[in-house]
Amino acid sequence: MSIITHAPDQASISRISNLRLGVGIAGLIAGLAAGIGLLSGGHATFNTSSLLTWGLPVSTYVFFVLTSTGLTFVASLAMVFGMKDFYPIAKRCVWGAVVTLIIGFISLGLEIGNPLRMLWVIPTNMAVSSPMWWMGLFYLTYAILLVWKFHLINQGDWDSSQSRIIGIASFVAVIFAHATLGSVFGMMSMRPFWYGPMVPVYFLITAFLSGLAFIMLFINLDYGVNHANMSEGAARAMSRQLPAIFGVVLGLVIVFTLAKTMTGLWSNVPENKIVTQYIASSALFQFELWIGMVLPFIMMLSSKRHEATTQVVAGGLVIVALFIGRYEYVVGGQLIPMFKGAWADDLIAYAPSITEIGIIILAISVGILLYALGDKKLNLSDSPRK
Amino acid sequence: MARWGMVIDLAKCTGCQACSTACQMENNRLPGENYQDVLYYTERAQPTPVLKWFPRPCMHCEEPSCMHVCPTKATFKTEDGVVLVDWNKCIGCKYCMIACPYGVRFYTDEKPTIEPNVKDVFPGTGDLSWNPPYKGPQQDNAHGVGIQPHGVVSKCTFCYHKISKAPKGTPDLSNDNPALREFVPACVRTCAPTARYFGDIDNPNSEVSRLISDRKGVRLLEHTGNKPQVYYLGESGAVPGFSRPDNKS
Repeated sequence: MSIITHAPDQASISRISNLRLGVGIAGLIAGLAAGIGLLSGGHATFNTSSLLTWGLPVSTYVFFVLTSTGLTFVASLAMVFGMKDFYPIAKRCVWGAVVTLIIGFISLGLEIGNPLRMLWVIPTNMAVSSPMWWMGLFYLTYAILLVWKFHLINQGDWDSSQSRIIGIASFVAVIFAHATLGSVFGMMSMRPFWYGPMVPVYFLITAFLSGLAFIMLFINLDYGVNHANMSEGAARAMSRQLPAIFGVVLGLVIVFTLAKTMTGLWSNVPENKIVTQYIASSALFQFELWIGMVLPFIMMLSSKRHEATTQVVAGGLVIVALFIGRYEYVVGGQLIPMFKGAWADDLIAYAPSITEIGIIILAISVGILLYALGDKKLNLSDSPRK
Repeated sequence: MARWGMVIDLAKCTGCQACSTACQMENNRLPGENYQDVLYYTERAQPTPVLKWFPRPCMHCEEPSCMHVCPTKATFKTEDGVVLVDWNKCIGCKYCMIACPYGVRFYTDEKPTIEPNVKDVFPGTGDLSWNPPYKGPQQDNAHGVGIQPHGVVSKCTFCYHKISKAPKGTPDLSNDNPALREFVPACVRTCAPTARYFGDIDNPNSEVSRLISDRKGVRLLEHTGNKPQVYYLGESGAVPGFSRPDNKS
């Protein structure tokens, strides 16, 4: 266990812990109430259609599984690449990766028509030409390795050769998993807004940013928004290395976002140009770019980047921006009707239904409660004794 | 083994939508879920706009992207070249709908396009999504024929329940031969101006092969590489690219 140099402010930590529990339970009730339509009306309660097939639940899935990827990357800084300062937050990151993966799978599972059928038809049919089949294979591998790794470090086994190998394997598996998730979209040449070999790279970078943003927000909240409440090692990682890494990755994502937007606006292909025009002129995009990315980037350039409060605000804003970005990306690729003539003569109108919103509130609430459970029962602040 | 394909002569097509109606009746389609649709669009702007139409079934591609992306092999191609969905394997992920460049796939559980919801008027029993008073083809979930179960994707089958029973070696399935009429797809059988032809496109002696060859049949969206087995004749073998109405550009 790391040494805590200051007496932690237990009152604020406990207050935030209770608040988290309350938000989780309230969210669970609200999510169940809003999502109950799924039981009675099935997927007809969604606002998706044969014109626009994947909506909010799919973009939520993409957001959370990529966040899981990012959290694994950060944990790997210590457990794969030996950057010891990150050990004090590594266990929390691994648990966060498990939880966000579960949130993603709940969201996707409730969106799919026959989710249970997946259990036998996917392994028995070996559809190796499908990017989605590979995505499933790698995410399953990743999930098993991740839970295994967490089990080992929860037993205090941080550095045995078995533990190291599992850590490396889960790091490799998650790279393949995110790459194939990127390919699910990037290989669709019939949808120019998605198509491109850089999509897996884009997913990799935004996944890393997503994981970093979650750490900036939630680990600070876990310790009462005060680095003094952390162990010395954790405080050092949170106040020195992380803001710098966060700033660099955020800068890269801003460049990527601007490049994709400008390329889209310049393009003559309607599926790219018109959709990018539509998205770029929306208030959501402007919020995403200026408030959700540029402002946190400026915060990371200032000397206040070391402070917990600044990190919480920056992390929260980036999370919102990335969520908007995933939604724009998933929905944007489908806005132009595929070959419908005058039956659909404009961009397809889509706004998530109450049921769709309920499903994601439900999934997130389950995640919050699982995280709270881990925080209470699994000693997430643990780190190697040496 | 035949490789079934279709030829649509746009010079003869009147846009009457009898094909869509016949398909709906034959395959128990819900309003808005047209396996066989006729698309309408305008060319040129005011004051000289021209209304055009374009009949569009599933293209039953040689290289169907919907099949390649399916994570369970629920979408498959039969030996005689027809792209079908095995509803027993479909998990309802809808990736095939994303990957189809022609927009010809439909998910069972969607908001109704008209009220009252026909599914509520004739509620389904068991796994079936609805229970129409008249059922066309015999239920065959393994080939995506009949009433859709919940949570699956469906599509045009080239009336597989008919064509699969045709005598082997038949070069064309047309109304001209009374002995073969029962095996002719509904849209072809009902087409009053005989704008549709159906046959074995691998057989050089079939009428469809000759038409494609003699009149330089074209396929839709060739750049996608899907290689449709539906060919168009005439001068309007394409739908213009997407553009928003002027006031929204």
